[in-house]
Order: sequence, then C-alpha cells, then structure tokens
Amino acid sequence: MENNLAENSGNVAAYDTGHTPHSPKPEPTDPKPDGGGTAEGEPSPPPSETLHEGDQANQEKKNETVKESPPPNHEKLAEDIDQLFLTLREDNDKSKGNAEKLEIPRFVERYLHMVEEKIIKYDSGEGKAKWGEVEEEDSWLLENADRITKLMKLLTNHHCEIEEERRNSLVNRTGSIQQRVMSYLEEDFRIIMEESRIIPTELDPGGNNNNADPKGKHVASSEKQEDVQDPDREQTESQPSFPGYPEEAIASLRKIATEMLSGGYESECCQVYIISRRNVFEEILQKLGLERISIDEMVQKVPWETLARDMIPAWINTFKECAAVFFPGERKLAEAIFADNPSVSEGLFSSLSRGVVIQLLNFAEGAAMTKRAGEKLFKLLDMYETLRDVIPKLDGMFPEESVEELKTEMTLAKSRLGESAIAIFCDLENSIKSETAKTAVPGGAVHPLTRYIMNYLAIAGDYKETLEQVFREHSKIERPDSTGMPRQENGASASDKEAASPFSTQAMRVMDLLDASLEGKARLYKEVALSNFFMMNNGRYILQKIKSSSEMSQVMGDNWCRKKSSELRTYHKNYQRETWNRVLASLNHEGLTVNGKVQKPVVKERFKSFNAMFDEIHRTQSTWVVKDEQLQSELRVSISTVVIPAYRAFLGRFAQILDPGRQTEKYVKYQPEDIETHIDELFEGKPHQGVGKRKT
Amino acid sequence: MPATTENNNQGSFLGRISIRRNQVLSMDGTHDQEMEDLELFQKHVGDRFSDLLSSTTDDPSSDALLSIAWLRKLLDEFLCCEAEFKAVVMMGREPSQIAKPPLDKLLPELLDRLVKSLDICNAVALGIDALKNIQRLAEVAVAALDQAPIGEGQVRRAKKALSSLVTTMVQEDKDPSKGTERTRSFGKRSSNTTNQAKSAFRSLSWTMAKNWSSAKQIHAMSSNLNAPRGAESSGLAQPVYIMSTVLVFVMWTLVAAVPCQDRNGLGTHVGLPRQLSWAHPMIGLQEKIAEEWKKKEKKGCVGVLEEMQRLDKLGQSLIEFADSFQFPAETERLEEVKAQVEELGDICRKMDEGLEPLQQQIREVFHRAVRTRTEFLLVLDQAGKLAAPST
Repeated sequence: MENNLAENSGNVAAYDTGHTPHSPKPEPTDPKPDGGGTAEGEPSPPPSETLHEGDQANQEKKNETVKESPPPNHEKLAEDIDQLFLTLREDNDKSKGNAEKLEIPRFVERYLHMVEEKIIKYDSGEGKAKWGEVEEEDSWLLENADRITKLMKLLTNHHCEIEEERRNSLVNRTGSIQQRVMSYLEEDFRIIMEESRIIPTELDPGGNNNNADPKGKHVASSEKQEDVQDPDREQTESQPSFPGYPEEAIASLRKIATEMLSGGYESECCQVYIISRRNVFEEILQKLGLERISIDEMVQKVPWETLARDMIPAWINTFKECAAVFFPGERKLAEAIFADNPSVSEGLFSSLSRGVVIQLLNFAEGAAMTKRAGEKLFKLLDMYETLRDVIPKLDGMFPEESVEELKTEMTLAKSRLGESAIAIFCDLENSIKSETAKTAVPGGAVHPLTRYIMNYLAIAGDYKETLEQVFREHSKIERPDSTGMPRQENGASASDKEAASPFSTQAMRVMDLLDASLEGKARLYKEVALSNFFMMNNGRYILQKIKSSSEMSQVMGDNWCRKKSSELRTYHKNYQRETWNRVLASLNHEGLTVNGKVQKPVVKERFKSFNAMFDEIHRTQSTWVVKDEQLQSELRVSISTVVIPAYRAFLGRFAQILDPGRQTEKYVKYQPEDIETHIDELFEGKPHQGVGKRKT
Repeated sequence: MPATTENNNQGSFLGRISIRRNQVLSMDGTHDQEMEDLELFQKHVGDRFSDLLSSTTDDPSSDALLSIAWLRKLLDEFLCCEAEFKAVVMMGREPSQIAKPPLDKLLPELLDRLVKSLDICNAVALGIDALKNIQRLAEVAVAALDQAPIGEGQVRRAKKALSSLVTTMVQEDKDPSKGTERTRSFGKRSSNTTNQAKSAFRSLSWTMAKNWSSAKQIHAMSSNLNAPRGAESSGLAQPVYIMSTVLVFVMWTLVAAVPCQDRNGLGTHVGLPRQLSWAHPMIGLQEKIAEEWKKKEKKGCVGVLEEMQRLDKLGQSLIEFADSFQFPAETERLEEVKAQVEELGDICRKMDEGLEPLQQQIREVFHRAVRTRTEFLLVLDQAGKLAAPST
C-alpha cells in the first residue's frame, strides 16, 4: 500500500519528462515484456565489473570536460534501477506475501556511486544550479530522490535477502545520499516558496486598485524581474491571483513536496512551508494596515479616534479580505502543493489560518472592552456585522478539523461586541438622566440633549436590522441572575399590538426618558406659554427625526407617531391659548356698547391694551426660536388666522369712533398688514428689538 | 486531583453559597455566614496550591514542576479559584455592596489586572505555537535516530534538526520577535544549510506588538498589590486581594515557563504575603520556580519549561554524538543514544498530547477573564445607576 502510494506519486511527480517505468508501452530494454519469469528479481544480467569500471573511468573523464549532461551510462544505470523496482513490484503483486527471495543486484552500488558523485559536485564550490535554471538538473534531482527513496524502502524491507554487512553499508550510503538530496530539495522548496511569489497581488487581491502603494510594488518586483514577467501577464488574464505563484512554481513545489513526503521528510517540508507562509501573512496584515496592538494598550492608552479612524476600518477590511481572498487562496495553495496528502495540506492551512484568525479576534475582543462611550456604538456594530457575515461561511472556508474552534471563537467575539453595543445603547439612558443642568435653553429652542439623542437614534436607524439582532441575541447573556435589575416594560409599548422587539422597547424607553427629561426642563421656564412652546418645539424636532428615518419610524411604530402628533397639537393649543387668548379678549366686541352706544373710553382702553400686549408679545416672541421652517410658518399662519381677522373686525367697527387725526394715530398703532408683518417676525430668535424703533 | 471532581466540589460549593445567601440576605445573620464563606475560600486557595506544590516533590512519577502536565493542572486550579471567587464576591450580592469602599477602588484594580492578563494569555499561546515548532524539530530527530542501523544520513538529518532546535530555543527564549542575527553565532554549518537556518529562524510564531514585554506586563499587574489591613482584612477586600495574587502568580509562572516576548527582569519576585497562611504554598512554588529561573539565567537562556530543559540537554548531547559519529557506530554508544532517543520520543509524545490542550486552556482562561470583567462591570454599573438620583 505504502509502496504503491509512493510509486504512484512518483509517477506523477518525477517521471513526467523522462522514462515512465509503469507505463504500459514496452521499452526496448524491458527484458520481461510478459511480466512472467523467474529471473530472481534481476531484470537484466549485471554488467561485468570491468566494463563498469571502464565506464566509470570514462565518466570521470567526461565529467572533467562536459559538465552539464550526464554521460549515457548514467541513464542506463537509472533505467536499470527503475527496471529493478518495476520487477520487484510485479513479483510482489504475483506472490503476495511470499516474496522471500529479493536480491539486490550489484549495479545498485554503482548507481549510488553515480548519484554521490553528482551530489559531491553540488557540494563543491560551483554548487547546484538554482531551481528552474536547468530543467534537466531539476528533473534529475526529483527522479533520483524518488529512486533513492524506493531503494531505501527496499533495503529496509525484511523480505530483502542480503547479507547483513552489505545491507548495513548500503542502507548507510543510501540514507546518506537521501539526506543530501532532501536537503537540496528542501532548499529549493524554500527558495521557490519565497522568491517566485508575485508581490503586487497581495496588496491588490482583486486587481481593482492598481494605484495602491506603487512604491512597495516597484521595489518588490524589481528584485526578481524574470519571475515577474510571466506572472504579470497571467495576472491580467485571470483575476484573483493571491497567493500569486505562477503555475510552474506550484508544479515544482508539488513535485518537491511529493518527493520529500514520500521520503519521510514531511516535517522538514512542512516547517519550511509554514514559516514561509506565515511571513507572507505577516506582510499582508502589515500592508492592510493592521497594527499589532496589545489589548491592554487598546483599553487603556490608544485614543478612540485612532481606533475609529485607522485601526477598526483596517481590521474590517482585513477580516473581509481574509475571508474572501486570502484564506480561500491559501487553502488552494496548500491543496495544490500537497495534492497527494490532503491531511497534510489541511493541517498546514488550519494552523496558519488559526493564527491569523485568533489575532484578528483578539483585536475585536479588545475593541469590545474599551471604555463604553456613545460614539463607539456604530464602529462596534460595523465589526459585529463583519463577524456576523463571515461566520455562516466558515464551513466552506476551513477544514473540519479547525472549523468548530474558529466558529466558537468568532461567535464569542461577536457576542462581546454585541454585549458592548447593547451596554452602550442602554447608556443613552444614563446620558439623559445625567443631563441635569438647571438653566433653561434661551428662547424655548430645541435642547442640545434632544439634538444629541435624536441624531444618535437617526444613525441607529441605519443599523436597525443589526441592532434588532444584537438585542435579540445578546441581551440575556452576561446578566448574573441575582443582580438583574427590574426592567419592566412600561406602558409605553403596551398599546402596540405586536410584541415589541427588545431593541424597539429600549428605543421606546429612551424616548420616554427623553420626554420626561424635557418636561422637567420645560418647567424651568417661568411662562407657561414658553414652556409649552419649548415642548412643542422639541417634540416637533423629535417627530421629524423619527419620520425622516423609515427604519426608526418602523421601530417607534404608528401609534407612537400618532400619539406624538396629538401631544404636539396640545402643546400648540396651549401655547396659543396662553399667548393669544388675552389678546383676542381685548378685541372682543362685548362690553363696548352700552344701550347701542359705543363707549369711547373703553374703546381707547382696548386699543391701548391690544397695542401693549401685541408689542410685548412681539418683543419677547421674536427672540423665541423655531428652526423648523415648516413649524415656524404653521405657527405664524395659525396666529395670523386668529388674530388678524379679529383685529380687522375690531378695527373696522371701532376705529371710526375715534377722532380722525391725532387720536386715531395714537390708538390705532397698527394696520392689519402691520400685524401680519410683525407676526412674521416672531420665532426668529432675534435679540430683543422694540417695535417702535423698527417702525421709525 | 482531576478537574472533574474539582468541578463537582465547586458546583456544590457554589450552590450552597447562593442558596444560603438567598435565604439569609434579608436577615441579620449575614455577617457570620459571610465570614465562613470567606474563610472557606481562603482555605480552598491554600489547599489547591499546596496540592500543586506537593505533586512536584512527593512522587517522582507524577508531573514534574513546570512540566506541561503540571501547567495544565495549575490552570485547572486557577479556573476553580476564579469560579469560587465570583461565587463569594458577586453571586447573590446587592450591587451596592461591592461598589462601596474599599472595593470601589480594589475591584477596578482587579479588573485592570484581568485586562493585562489577556495579553499574557495571548503571548503564552504564541509561545506554545513556537513550542509546537520545536516539537516538530525534535520529532525529526527521533524519526532519524530511531533506526537500526543508524546511518550517516540519519545522523546528519538529526543533527540539523537538533541544532535548529537548540538555536530556536535560545532564540524564542530571548525574544521571539526579532533576530536573524543570532543564528550567526552557530557557525558549524555547511554553506548550503546556512540560508535554510536563517530563514527558519525568521519567526517561528506570530509575535506580540512591538515593544510589548511580558516581564513589564507582570510588573504592571503586581504593582499596587497590597494585602488589606485592619478592618478591611476581614471583609470583601480579602478575596479580591487573594484573587489578584493568584492571578499574578499564575501569569508569572506561565511567562517563566513558556517562551514569551521580552522576559528581562522577570526574576524579581512577585510580592506574596508571608504572614497569610493561604499564600504559603504559593510562596513555596515561587521559590522553586525562581530557583529554576536563576539557573536558567546563569546557564544561558534555556526555557524553564521542564520539557524544554530536557530537550535542551538531550539536544546538546545528541549533537555531540552526531559530531563524533562514524559509521558504523560503537555498540556501547548506541545503547546510550537509544535511551536518549527514547526519552526524546517520550517528550515529543508529551508535547503532542499536552500542548494543544494547554493552549485551549489558556484560551479558556482568556475568555473567563473577559467574562468576569464584563460581569463585574455590569454589577458596578448597576450600583452606579442605583446610586444616581433617577429623574
């Protein structure tokens, strides 16, 4: 079984250019085309010693003159060895367990000598050609690694009949050659891993962003011009090209890995692979801007702005890129190179990706642990969403071996972010409660707290789905039962027929608290009218903010909106009543005529009183503030429609009573048009201005 | 003592506390019960560490001090202490109770130590990654030398792996985050292995943030760590102090045992209270570990982890064997080597069985610390909310 596996892989990896010992097509040198025979395991008669000694002499001479191609008898020796394996295998197949008489032919020693010589040449000053430079050299190394490995297995096989001393000596020699050959393969493997990679593709896995960091790319690629030529073309042809090894490089790596694994040098091969790939990931993470940072530093030192501006976006980007490009690419690479050993490729990929993932998750844990603050909510939710979206894809992304652990870890990190988000959102309650300033906002304007909370909620609306999910999934965790606070749902949501979601319940509670807080602040105003005006103004702002976010209006529900509108109408009415009823009373026709006769002094008094009240209202209420233009005009219109007709009627009826000239001028200060103009000046938040001054 | 029985004990202990507290809280007898709980907690902490101490001396077959198996036991005990601590201090208590002085200051300090311990956990987990690589090198040596006859090739292979192993351990020990330069001092390499060695040492594991130092972190954790005095010593300040001490001690031990980034200055003791009986076993352990650490510093940087020390010794000896090796080896020497290879194989097996679970345990400690911190913050938060005048 083991032999078969090794030979099959050898077939794929090592013999694609040269002879194929397993190939069914008859070779001219094949002495046993029918596979039968009792040649005692020796495929061809051993050539005489003398002949071979002569050959060796020849060979040495040739070596001095021709360095490159091995002399013909090398090929012959190799063929003989291959034939030997072929025969042995066939014998083995035939006689099953009964393969007792395996003999090791004498040419094995000569073969070993030949390989040794070559290796000695490698070891000598000129060294071995770099992988890829001389194709024959590469395949020579691979083919003979395969032969040596097989020979080693043969020699240590217990059925092999051979005198102990010769066996030991052969094992020692073969093992020694194998170790050297494997060292060269390991070195080649490392060099290909490290040098044939096309650097630019890392930064730009999708190939969309070609102007990113041109400097980095340039330096990196100029070092290895030859390698870059082909792959560059390749990259433009087929897009996502991480990890950026050209086809030939992967093919070479695979061949080497196959030989190293079948030769028992798996550990060495894996070590080189994993170190090389880890370094690549270090580079990637660095280039994606993911700074290494301790949790302690994150929690205690680094300003949130730095996290929010640089680190968290880099984290999100890195996480997404890893899930979309780097991990799938990395897995494919391992699978391509260790194609014959899925368990090895899975192990390597698991170990590498685990390292990256845990590092990323530690950052998330750290971010979730930073001191809670309102402005952090949305960044944390961004991170939450990133994890949430990756988790369902994990099954296809990682091998079974590691997927459960990663899923658990990611889910935990996600929970931490979710719990933090909930805590921060619930902290809105505190920021409302702790706003206890005792000074009223001038002019009954929208309170800064209203602005803050509503803008916050408007952004929260953009995250509605996520917040709903976060509240649903994480609000029960981490609340030690015995310390749980009584958190009854107040009547606020009771009117809604559907059970409100935990998030909308919380949002509702925030609204209720805000309302309560505003009512407290409204009481700071001495005038009832301004108090109501303030409530109307803030309520209007709140309603508008909710209505302008379709998500938030869903959260709050129609009932809430209706209720809010009716409250607003009440405040409006109250304001109007408090401010204008007295004015209108002064324009009342009743009590001005006694027995059908108009009482002139009373009329004068009424005009005076109206003027004074109107002046006063104009003076104060033009300093009141309504930023909402619609509300402003609604207010003015509603005032105008009540006041102007009443004044017009009063004027039309009673102005004539007054003596024309000075008296009229004194008491009829305003024409109806003036009234309208002045009403239009209300609520602009202007500093106090006397009406009289404006008139002149 | 296997963890399972511990957990059972602990389960019943926790159950008792919460039941009792629920019954008693409203009455005036709370005080006595509480004293009893606190004493029980102290006693348990003392017992746990005295078990750890005795398991290192009594029985030679049991797990040696600072071995992987011993560290796993240490973490088991730590997790139990931590669970009991929460039971004593948090469960069934009014938030206001733990938010008032002196806890209002001591508890946040503990939470800060928990945050700092997270980085230690991560650094130690990375150190275990490095150990896995070291294990792989040792396995190569075992595979190569566990043969008959041992040939030159196998010896060369083993030597290469062992040289890497010995160098790596020095490397990891000094500072895993930097240094190809160090490998140059190991000169005996033929030209074609130098490159390989160099690249192999670039980094055997992920590293922590630049300039992060495990020793400094430990020192930061142990500053402000003072035993409560006077009236405080009988109240909740005591378990908070005990937990802090246990936390710092366990983290210190882990950093000493496993290769960690920048351990310069770790030798200085963590201050443990000699006058308190629960701390005595811990002091005993600390003295032993510190002794190992001192030896290590004198000898020149080998890990304090028991397996690493043995690997180092075996590695050196087998490299010596390799240097003088000629085929065929003398029978006498072979016997010796065979025993050493067996021991090496034994260590590899222990690492293979123990490192992964140890790493998972470290992660569990990490998550536990995060969780405990969150839970305490929540309670403090609620206490704050209760205290604040509600509108």
